[in-house]
Amino acid sequence: MAGSNLLSWILWMPMLGVLGVLLMPKDKTTWIKSWALINTVITFALTLVLYCKFDQTQAGMQSAFNVAIPWIAQFNIFYRLGVDGISMPMTILTGLLFMLCILSSWTQIKKSIKAYFALLLLLQSCVFGVFFALDFFLFYVYWEVMLIPMFFLIGVWGGENREYAAVKFFLYTFFGSILMLVGIVALYFATNQSVDSFNILALSGGKFTQLNVTIFGQAVSFSKLFFVFMFIGFAIKVPVFPFHTWLPHAHVQAPTAISVILAGVLLKMGTYGFLRIAFPIFPDSAKYFSTAIAWLGLINVIYGALCAMAQTDVKKLIAYSSVSHMGFVMLGLAAMTVEGVNGAVLQMFNHGTSTAMMFFMIGILYERSHHRWIVKPDGSRGYGGLYTQLPVYSIIFIIGMFASMGLPGLSGFISEALIFLGIYQKFTTITVLALFGLLIGAAYLLWMFKRMFFGDVNPEVKEYNDMTKLEVAYMIPLCIAVIVFGVWPSPILNIMKASVGQLVSLMATF
Amino acid sequence: MHLNYLANIGRYIPEILLVILMVGLILIEATYKEDEKDRRYIFITAIIGLVATFVAILFNMGGKPQAIFTNSIVIDDFSSLLKLIMVLGTIAVVYLSRFSKDIYETLKTEFVIMAVGILIGGFLLASANNMLTLYLGIETLSILSYVMASLKKNDERSSEAGLKYALYGGVSAGIMLFGLSHIFGVLGTIQFTGVAAMIPNLTTVQMAILMPSFVLFFAGIGYKIAAVPFHMWSPDVYEGSPTPVTTFFAIVPKIAGIAVLIRVTSVFFTVESPMKVGWIGLMLVVSALTMTVGNVTAIGQKSVKRMLAYSSISHAGIMMASLVMIGDVGIRAVLFYAITYLFMTLVAFYITSIVQDKYGNDHFDRFSGLIYRYPWMAVMMTVVMFSLTGIPPLAGFVAKYNILSSLINSKFYTLAVILGLNSVVSAYYYLKIVRLMVLKQPESEEAIEGFGFLNQMIIVVMTLPIFVLGIFWETIMSFANVSKLFIN
Repeated sequence: MAGSNLLSWILWMPMLGVLGVLLMPKDKTTWIKSWALINTVITFALTLVLYCKFDQTQAGMQSAFNVAIPWIAQFNIFYRLGVDGISMPMTILTGLLFMLCILSSWTQIKKSIKAYFALLLLLQSCVFGVFFALDFFLFYVYWEVMLIPMFFLIGVWGGENREYAAVKFFLYTFFGSILMLVGIVALYFATNQSVDSFNILALSGGKFTQLNVTIFGQAVSFSKLFFVFMFIGFAIKVPVFPFHTWLPHAHVQAPTAISVILAGVLLKMGTYGFLRIAFPIFPDSAKYFSTAIAWLGLINVIYGALCAMAQTDVKKLIAYSSVSHMGFVMLGLAAMTVEGVNGAVLQMFNHGTSTAMMFFMIGILYERSHHRWIVKPDGSRGYGGLYTQLPVYSIIFIIGMFASMGLPGLSGFISEALIFLGIYQKFTTITVLALFGLLIGAAYLLWMFKRMFFGDVNPEVKEYNDMTKLEVAYMIPLCIAVIVFGVWPSPILNIMKASVGQLVSLMATF
Repeated sequence: MHLNYLANIGRYIPEILLVILMVGLILIEATYKEDEKDRRYIFITAIIGLVATFVAILFNMGGKPQAIFTNSIVIDDFSSLLKLIMVLGTIAVVYLSRFSKDIYETLKTEFVIMAVGILIGGFLLASANNMLTLYLGIETLSILSYVMASLKKNDERSSEAGLKYALYGGVSAGIMLFGLSHIFGVLGTIQFTGVAAMIPNLTTVQMAILMPSFVLFFAGIGYKIAAVPFHMWSPDVYEGSPTPVTTFFAIVPKIAGIAVLIRVTSVFFTVESPMKVGWIGLMLVVSALTMTVGNVTAIGQKSVKRMLAYSSISHAGIMMASLVMIGDVGIRAVLFYAITYLFMTLVAFYITSIVQDKYGNDHFDRFSGLIYRYPWMAVMMTVVMFSLTGIPPLAGFVAKYNILSSLINSKFYTLAVILGLNSVVSAYYYLKIVRLMVLKQPESEEAIEGFGFLNQMIIVVMTLPIFVLGIFWETIMSFANVSKLFIN
């Protein structure tokens, strides 16, 4: 396999999977599942190959893997792919999580299996597309197409209130994308429709600082206006407060595997958008708005944590904890220091693994209890004494929970520490306030743990079986990830270092 | 001066073919007895004739643009392309009417004859190069439309639709004629080119008369494409008319109206003048209003046909948006939009019509669980709905993208954002159908006879362009790009 086509292989491998699933007869569910599994395993292996061939010293796009083929030459639209230190961790995360999700869906999904796996693989291809695309048009296409499988995956296989959640998710994201599209087109014309007008890399570097546009007779800075447009587009995906209201619904209603994908990968696309697009293209505006972004990040951290504390539905609790943790990523980005941005990218990866663990674990528990109440609406306890009844489950849950909390020795700690190192250099007050977020984070997780795992054994709990071999099997890779990267984060930090450094030095010139 | 009225009549063959076809159809119709059910020769003849017209237009394309009949008709690639779209739409509707139960068996032949008549009106409009031809086109189109809307004679709603259409149409035609008479009175010519030559150098008094006259003139065209505030008739007419008629109304008159609006705008208002500023301002406001009102009203609808009616209002608004930037970029965008609009509308109405024939109404709930019964049809409808919303990689996205990008190119950021936000609003009601089809369980298990193999095939074939144009749109764009408007 030629190295230069590796990205295309990773991108189209899941599409091959979709094709295969569609060709299989509907009732051969084991074939379909096995095919999907094989497909995702190959894809994951390919991402590992990519990792091995990755040149850590190269700051920009890895020149060995760049792809640029004209798609619609008349309008300078290219099929242009590339990977650098920022997208590389996300690529591995995507490959890993989708593989585990296929395993998790193996027994949990019972209706329309063929459609489910086809849509899941389609989603994977789109996610890779977003992380690889270097052409704005292509990026937008993948960003949008993703809505279609997500809409159906939440809407068909979700919980009781799934339709509402699916529509809300769709409309919210679509709204953000439209603003982004206006920005993309404006950039296209601002650079005179040249060959590079859709090229994300060529647009980067702060070329639009002097440009103005006229809105209602007022001259407005081009850069600031469209930074705000793009910001809203990405912020909805992250989600940054006040655009977060779709998230609890989507998470709670989505089936387990989709919650994992949503929290583990899709939220990262928002912050990835900042890193790849909004910041490098409009560095002056990013700098201008950095205080505001930091405050929004802080609100995310504190508000998300407080909301999480108030939840009685454990899945909703974890959903809000995602809001809180993504706030840390925003803080790291707003700092625009080497430590901050490194921490943010690392947090994107670590949050992907730890939240995925939590959502998987809740899904496993739900399979047994068919409810997710910590405290049932009638006031009685939903669980209690799980620790004595399900020892294996409890241990894995504890690992995930502590990783999510940021306990030293587990992955969350390092990224959060880096973010604090970074943000302290710029915003002292915000740093101090954000530390309270950590405290609340520990509080709601431990309180949840106490109510679910300790105390008297709830009679219902006695009937639960401990984790099956399959369930343990797909949790082990994540356990390894959170522990190994908790003590030895350099495999990830090393690949991102050069690219992050380049971004930070670009930001420093404005 | 000697005028050769018949010079270049060769370029007029498509229209002549249509007239012959219409007369021929009337003659064939007369050979049937009153209660004879199967009138297949009418349909066969109509389809052959329409295909012949299609081919004739194809031959006409690519040639040098020409004004004929002493400059009252102009044949250029722009009008030819739109005529192709109208003919394709008519062919599809004629086929749809063949098996639709919404039109009385005995009146189906009348429907076909009138459709051809309306098509002639549409051709006239697309090629109109003076005020009189334009007015003739609008009237040919309208008068037959009134009859067509009330084709279900015994149905109250259909009669209401016809009457409403006629009243609105009569009034707006009157208003338009009133405006035209002022334009003629002030400028002394009805030729587009003559008017265009005088517009940049008007005196203040002339301008004071002409400004309102052009607004009145616009009322006539705005009524035809159901631009807000002249749209009131449209949902009632769309809902009351038999479904094939509605399909037809959503395509031919609308595209003809857009065609004439583009021509008027590009002929009259290319040179900078205060009139141009006023006209562009008018188009800006009307287009923003049209898409917004159409979309917002569509949200609350219970009938799919009515929802599609409102959505087609908003699509007309989007096409109008391209008028604010006069020039090739806007025309190219609107031509591409018209092509995709044709296919999306056809598929949506075909499926609605078949479902409606089965259940007797087109309430949203009739689509429940369609995917469990007719998976292909549900998938096609879903594709069309996503395409109408503007989700890539479907043709509807590319169409909207082109309009959006030409708006931004001309620095109409506000209108571009309004257009974008309208897509979000429209997503809500388009998703409603998708939601019902895919996420709900079916109401009944009875087979829907309309979804036979042949019809399913036809629907799939009509959906294919939506995929293809969404990914490989370069060829069609270049095609639209060379289809320039001819200004004499």
